[in-house]
Amino acid sequence: MTTSQIMIAVIVPALVKILVMIGFVFNVGALLTWLDRRQGAMIQDRVGPNRAVFKLGKFELRAAGLLHTAADGLKFFFKEDFMPPKADKLLFSLAPMVVMIPVLAILAVIPFGDTVCPQSLWHVTKDGHMIFPAVTRLGVCGADPANNIFPIPMQIATLNVGILYVFALAGQGIVGAALAGYSSDNKFSLMGALRAASQMVSYEVVLGMSLIGAFMLYGTLRIDEMVRWQGENAWGVFVQPLTFFVFFAAAVAESKRIPFDLPEAESELVSGYFTEYSGMKFGMFYFAEYMEVATSSMLLVTIFLGGWNLPFLHRDGLTISFGTTTLVHQLLPHIWVTIFQVLTFFGKVLFLCWFQCFVRWSLPRFRYDQLMKLCWKVLLPISLANIFLTGIIFMAIDNAGADVAAGLKIAADVTQALVALTITYFVLRGIIGFIRPSKHTPWVVGSSANQAELAGGSKESPMQA
Amino acid sequence: MNLAQVFFFLCAAGTLVGAIAAVASKNPIRGALGLMVMIMGIAALYLGLGAQFLAAIQLIVYAGAVVVLFLFVIMLLGPDATSATDMRGLAPRVLAGVLFAVTGGAAISLTIAVSKHHMIPRVGPDFGGVDAFGRELFSTGIVPFELSSALLMVSVIGAIAIARGKHGGLPGELKSADEIRASLAAQATSSEEHG
Repeated sequence: MTTSQIMIAVIVPALVKILVMIGFVFNVGALLTWLDRRQGAMIQDRVGPNRAVFKLGKFELRAAGLLHTAADGLKFFFKEDFMPPKADKLLFSLAPMVVMIPVLAILAVIPFGDTVCPQSLWHVTKDGHMIFPAVTRLGVCGADPANNIFPIPMQIATLNVGILYVFALAGQGIVGAALAGYSSDNKFSLMGALRAASQMVSYEVVLGMSLIGAFMLYGTLRIDEMVRWQGENAWGVFVQPLTFFVFFAAAVAESKRIPFDLPEAESELVSGYFTEYSGMKFGMFYFAEYMEVATSSMLLVTIFLGGWNLPFLHRDGLTISFGTTTLVHQLLPHIWVTIFQVLTFFGKVLFLCWFQCFVRWSLPRFRYDQLMKLCWKVLLPISLANIFLTGIIFMAIDNAGADVAAGLKIAADVTQALVALTITYFVLRGIIGFIRPSKHTPWVVGSSANQAELAGGSKESPMQA
Repeated sequence: MNLAQVFFFLCAAGTLVGAIAAVASKNPIRGALGLMVMIMGIAALYLGLGAQFLAAIQLIVYAGAVVVLFLFVIMLLGPDATSATDMRGLAPRVLAGVLFAVTGGAAISLTIAVSKHHMIPRVGPDFGGVDAFGRELFSTGIVPFELSSALLMVSVIGAIAIARGKHGGLPGELKSADEIRASLAAQATSSEEHG
């Protein structure tokens, strides 16, 4: 192959990967603006967004409020772009961009699938048949430019420093909020920015410290290697349960959402550091928050929930084994496994996004001193203790001999089986619920209606109370 | 000019622009932002040299912690944080600038002069990665590493000691409701005893 062909073989997959990641995050971000409101409405017994309507003659399309996403986007573009007269014009315009950049740049190191060997995707035999071969379970196909072999890692940039890159970018997120608050020339904005800066600086320490235990087990900083470790052993959430919860809390705090939304507490600070923003500049702050939900979900999935791995599905196919006894071993074509793994990764990310929205509507906001106490007096000591404990247990297991190692292998396989059973149960429940929905009660009788009845009104029309 | 050179000159230009903005801007927050641009330019230069770990640490420590601390202090001070415009202290400032320029120029010219006679050995393929860096840090560089850790520890303890003040307890720390109730109850019982 010539140099230009090699360039194409390297650049085209890179561009496709960037398009996949950016496209996913933008679409999920837009979807989340709807999901957050719709789910909040369902949790709080309201109707939720339903006014946006597409009308063509007698045809009406409401799509359960999904059109609000498009309507909001259009509105952002046509609203007046107001700037406070005494604001610092340059910094005021710069702040939304500075907020967006780190959120998007984190996508570069998130692996969404195992390395693809393009040579092994399909073969065409001499008599015109197509065969889909399987690849080996371990050992990623090495790059071999002489024989035109370019394995495609499903990750935009395979950095040696891996997760450190994520921390480096997470630190930049504060700057955008600080700039927005300072340049707005508004005391509420400034207070919001101060809160944002102190909160994010504090929780960033926890974010870094909590992961050290996980690094010690995985033995690497490369995110794709972490996912591979989890596929061969057990998922991170089973080997480092404490870390998972601490990291989850810190990640929610970093994205400044309820229960950690002190910087934009609407009952105290109007809307915090972006009070003065309008139009698409406000839209960028708003949208960056939802994209941060998506990227933090991706990080959680890759570090703790096995990334692209499904239980028992490996690179070479399906292998159900406990310890050394193998129950099922079925080779599967490389192309199918790859597609399935990529879908698995994005499915897990969507699940965690939903879960973060669920958390948002379930918990009340912390008070400021509670927030700081939680960070410095609870989460940080827990993560330090976790490092210590992990070190001791790791050393004990290393010196314990083959029997313990075999026992742990079985335990790891049991966790995989547990995950498989849980997923199967919920998928079946979902299918059954979709085919035969549970019966609707004719009246929505919530707690408020019961109270109204106690106060003398009737249960059916609580307004009379 | 090959791609690596283009990359180098772009990053170097960015670093210089950031550095000039950091010292020349009147607005303190713009100065802090200029410093951040400079730090990012240096991190990009490290990346161009293959030192990935150093680039990441540069961003985490300097851009993520130091500049953010600057921003935080500037925001706390508000409009008071403007730089001095009077002529007081002009002489020491100029002197400091000249001293820096002379020593910096000497260091650069010395490096260039030495590198003409001594070829710097080529680095290995794993140079700049986390593995190589960690091995170096915990084998040949262990003594300075531990000493600097001790220094940092001392400064952390010093900061806590200053923040706590003489009477113990952080200034402005909120008491929990239980503490307030307990102290109120103690007052009530003591007044009953006296009365």
